[in-house]
Order: sequence, then C-alpha cells, then structure tokens
Amino acid sequence: MENPVKIDLGLCNQCGLCEFNCPGDLIYSDEAGNPYLKYPEECWFCGACRMDCPKNCIEIVFPMEVL
Amino acid sequence: MFESKNEVVLKTDVLIIGGGSAGTMAALAARKKGLEVILVDKANINRSGCGAAGNDHFMAVLESGPDWDTPEAFLAWYKRLTQGLVDSKVVEKVFTSRIKGLVEYLENIGIQMRIDTKNNDFIRTKSFAQPGEYFINFDGRSLKPIVSKEAEEAGVKCVRQVYITDLIKQEERVIGAVGFNIRNGDSYIFEAPAVILATGNVSRMYRNPSGLPFNAWHSPYNNGSAQAMAYKAGADLKNMEFVNYTLTPKNFSASALNAIVGMGGYIVNSLGERYVLKYHEQGEQGPRWTMPWGTYWELKEGRGPCYFDVRHLSDEAIEHLLTHLLPVDKNTFMDYCNQKGLDLKKDLLEIQICEGQLPAFVGSVTGIHIDENCLTTVPGLYAAGGCAVSICNLAGSMAVGGAAGESAADEILRDRIEVKLDQEKIAELKARAFEPLKRANELEESRFEGKLHQIMADYVGIGRTKLGLETGLEELKKLNDLTSILGATDGHVLMRVHEAQDMLLLAELITKGALTREESRFGLSHYRGDYPDTNPEWHVSLHQSLKDGVPMMKKVAAYK
Repeated sequence: MENPVKIDLGLCNQCGLCEFNCPGDLIYSDEAGNPYLKYPEECWFCGACRMDCPKNCIEIVFPMEVL
Repeated sequence: MFESKNEVVLKTDVLIIGGGSAGTMAALAARKKGLEVILVDKANINRSGCGAAGNDHFMAVLESGPDWDTPEAFLAWYKRLTQGLVDSKVVEKVFTSRIKGLVEYLENIGIQMRIDTKNNDFIRTKSFAQPGEYFINFDGRSLKPIVSKEAEEAGVKCVRQVYITDLIKQEERVIGAVGFNIRNGDSYIFEAPAVILATGNVSRMYRNPSGLPFNAWHSPYNNGSAQAMAYKAGADLKNMEFVNYTLTPKNFSASALNAIVGMGGYIVNSLGERYVLKYHEQGEQGPRWTMPWGTYWELKEGRGPCYFDVRHLSDEAIEHLLTHLLPVDKNTFMDYCNQKGLDLKKDLLEIQICEGQLPAFVGSVTGIHIDENCLTTVPGLYAAGGCAVSICNLAGSMAVGGAAGESAADEILRDRIEVKLDQEKIAELKARAFEPLKRANELEESRFEGKLHQIMADYVGIGRTKLGLETGLEELKKLNDLTSILGATDGHVLMRVHEAQDMLLLAELITKGALTREESRFGLSHYRGDYPDTNPEWHVSLHQSLKDGVPMMKKVAAYK
C-alpha cells in the first residue's frame, strides 16, 4: 500500500514527536534520524502524528481503498 | 536480532495495563490516594487509545434544572438502552455520582468544555434515544496529552512501549503481569497487589469493509488483551456474543454518526427516503443499533446506497458540524472530504455498516464483568473502560477509570497484601511471551489475521445460524492449529502475534456465546436467522469463564 503519512523532510526538525505519538508503533527513525512510516498498512489515519508536529510538516494522503 | 535481553523487575502498589483515557484516569486516581502507581502501555500514553487524536462529545449529567438532567433520569434511560443487562448500581457508583466533578476537573486543567465562547456556556446535543441533551460538544483534541501530563506530574510512573502478555497469579489473586518492550526486547516483570485492566474494546476481529483491517471505527490497536487475560485468569466475561456495528462514512474509519444525528442530520436511501423511521419510531433519534439494522435491510432489499444527509441544516448548524464536531472527533475528517471531493453543504455522504467490533460505546453490555468497585470476579483484578461492562464512551471510560483507581487504592490501603513472585511461574510466562520468536516463521501475521476476519464475518457476523456458528467454531480450531507456524522476527510483529492470539481466543468465546443464545437481540449485534425474535426467556446475561482450565457458561438474570 502507498504511504499515507507524507512527511516533508525539508521542514522536519527530527524532534521525534510523530514517532513518539503514533498509537500503533508505526513510525520509526532511519539512520539519519528522519522519521518514516514503517507499517503503512497498519495506519488508522487518526492524525495523531501530525497534531503536535511543531513544524506542521505531515500530510495525510488517503489510499484509493479509503476514497 | 530481536530476542529477550535484560530483565526489568518493577514493584508497585497498583499496576494499570492500558494507557488510554480509562487507564490514565485510573492511574491518576490511585496516585492521588498516595500510592505508588505504574501505568503501562504498548504505545506512548501521550496519545494512546481511542481518544488518541481527539473527541467531540462528552456525555454528562450536569443537574442544570430540567428533569432529564438528573442522575435518576439518566439511569432510567441507560437501563432502557441496555435492556437491564448492565447493573444500574454500578453505573450510579462509577458514572452518575462522579461525572459532574469530572467535567469540573477537566475545565480546571484547561480542556475547553464550553465551546459557546460568547456566553461561556456548554453546547449540548442529544442522540441515541436520550431524554435530553447529555452530550457536551467539546474540544477534546488535546484531552489525552493534557491528562497524560497531569498523571505524570502527579507521580504516576509511565512505562511505554511495553506489551503485556500475561497476568501473574498467586493462588486466587492476581499480583502482577509479564510483558516485553516492543522496541528493545527487554522483558518486564511487574509485581503489584492490585492490577487494573484498561485496554479497551476489540476492533480488528472482523472483515473491514474497506479491505484495510486497521481502518477501523475505534482504535485498531485495541485487540482485547484485557478480556483475554481476564478470562485466562478466571474472570467472568459477559455477553460476548453481542458484536457491535455502527454507520461510518464509506470506507473511512470515522465515528461521525453521533455528530450527524445529534445535529439533526438524516439518513436516507437511494430513493431519498428517511428509512430509519420504518425500523424505529424515533428514526435517527433512536438507539444506535436501529441505524445499522435498518441500513442492513435497505441494502439487502436493493434500496442502497445509503447516505448521511445534512443539506437541510442551517448554515450555523453545518458550520458547527464541520468546525467543532467532525474534524475534532477525527482529525483527518476534512482531509477525507476534500480528497474525495465532498462538500457536505451540497453533497450526500455515502455510508456503510462498519466492521464488527466487541463494543465500547454507550449502552454496550459486553466485556469483563465488574462490580460497583470495578472489581472483576478474581481478587486483585480490576477493570475499567471499553474492556469492562459498565458505561464506556469517552466520558464513561474516564469516570469508570477514576472509580477503579480509587477502589483499587482503597483496598491496598485497607488490607496489607503480601506479594511473592513464584520464579518458576515467571520463567514459564516469560518463555511464553517470547515463544513466537522461536517458532517456524511460515505464516505472516497479517494472513493469519485475514483468515480470522474471514471466518468471523462469514460465520459469526451479521445473520447467524446454528450450522454457521458450528462451522465457525471448527474453522477457528483449524486456525488455532496454525499458531505453531505463526512466528515473529521483531518486537513489533511479536506484539501483533500476541494480539492475534488474544483475538482468536475472544473470537471463540463470541462464537460459543452466539451459539448458546437462541434468540435475537440488539439488532445486528446478535441476529439469529433461526431464532429471529427477541425471547423474554433469554432476557439474561451470559457469563463465560475458565475454572481450573474448563470453560464454563452460565445465565445471569437481568437487573431489576
């Protein structure tokens, strides 16, 4: 499935809050410290990752199955 | 390689398993009594549980003057809604006597409960056959992080990313729990003379209409580990056969129904008819179960698709709905509308009957049986929130959580309970926690779960029969045999494997309960085609438990 959690790494400050807040343990940090959605098929589309994002750099893009 | 690494042993007075709204309030309440408290969650507590990203309705009795706004009127309504299968004495003790104080507390810690800022007043709506406007429309987007911070600042020790696999028993009493850290593989042993279960409902057990199992009405990370652990520890589970359905936007996991009908929205079929009126005299103002029930028959008889229709509402009402309710309850609601190209002022919103869930909504009668002190039938083991039978929407869960925390603390303060861990037993439970890492990894967890969804939807879903349920039981047994090749290679998958095993256990209990209850009740929740009527002789609760390894089932009379 395509990634529904689009993180603008150009804006991201690597604070780790999205990884911390995700209720499903779906967001991880890569070796460079950038967050990524490791388990896209387990996303609830709840938006918890973006709600407290200090850089407002996360967008939720629904996969075709939802639309 | 992911493996069992360090062992962390933690002693506390009260252990709470599940850091959602109920668990966090339980932790705070027990801590306020001066005890040592640990709150453990498989995620990060800050935004754990169904309320992770927000909520828009807070059910409360405020005693503002009218007859309906009194504990008595509320309890009478709740008894009708639950058909007497929930003990009003419990609801009075854990909810109506506490809820006004809880609203005040939330206002004090900065939650915006009064969204009528002009008049500094509550906006309240009613739905689900309530006699009055019990639902405060509020801004719950920051509720979970704020309450979590309160708990931590009060001295609650939060243990994050630890999945609990088993309770520890000392003779008849529960005295702790065993689990593992899903990121680093540390094993955790908790020693506590009182344990409160608060891991919510079960939302990933049935086929999801969108085909995406985690796209569920309530949190898809709620897998029923509380109910499964309670059952294995010998506690009574109640009315497991009632599976709940609601109406959600087509292919989207948002609980919009309360907001829509609360504002006076309609539910219509392809002919434009407000069909719910055919199935219940109160139409869209009737109990929740009447709406999926009516929708089921409309679709079955060829009058679908069905829709939410809010086009007739005033500009002010639509504005309220689109600003203060739908996107507050589900943060991504407007993204869904925008990406789908929907304008609710002009367009109908297509709906679906959601996946089956073991319920956690106002009026559900299913889960762990608790008494007025939130105590299960096992000493030392308490339960609160969506996993327990009392009252469990957000407000209910928070109120019951607080009550459970206080009751558990009172017991510990009153009776000095000596706890001693049996190291042999601990070793056994630890081995069970990590065992999937040693199994042949031949079956992906997602496929195992997919098979479970298929069995449950096809044989234990909507429209049940004796033969179908028996077939379901056989299929579940076959699936159980496959756990021997259901392996895991990392902590995340190890967690999912344990979740799947818990869901499988609960699926079996749902099926057995559904087979035993030879009647139909609560609409689609339990509709037996071979016993289509509600039978007064079956106006009982069905309790299931495990006594000395033997599954037991008993009928318990409805409350007078």
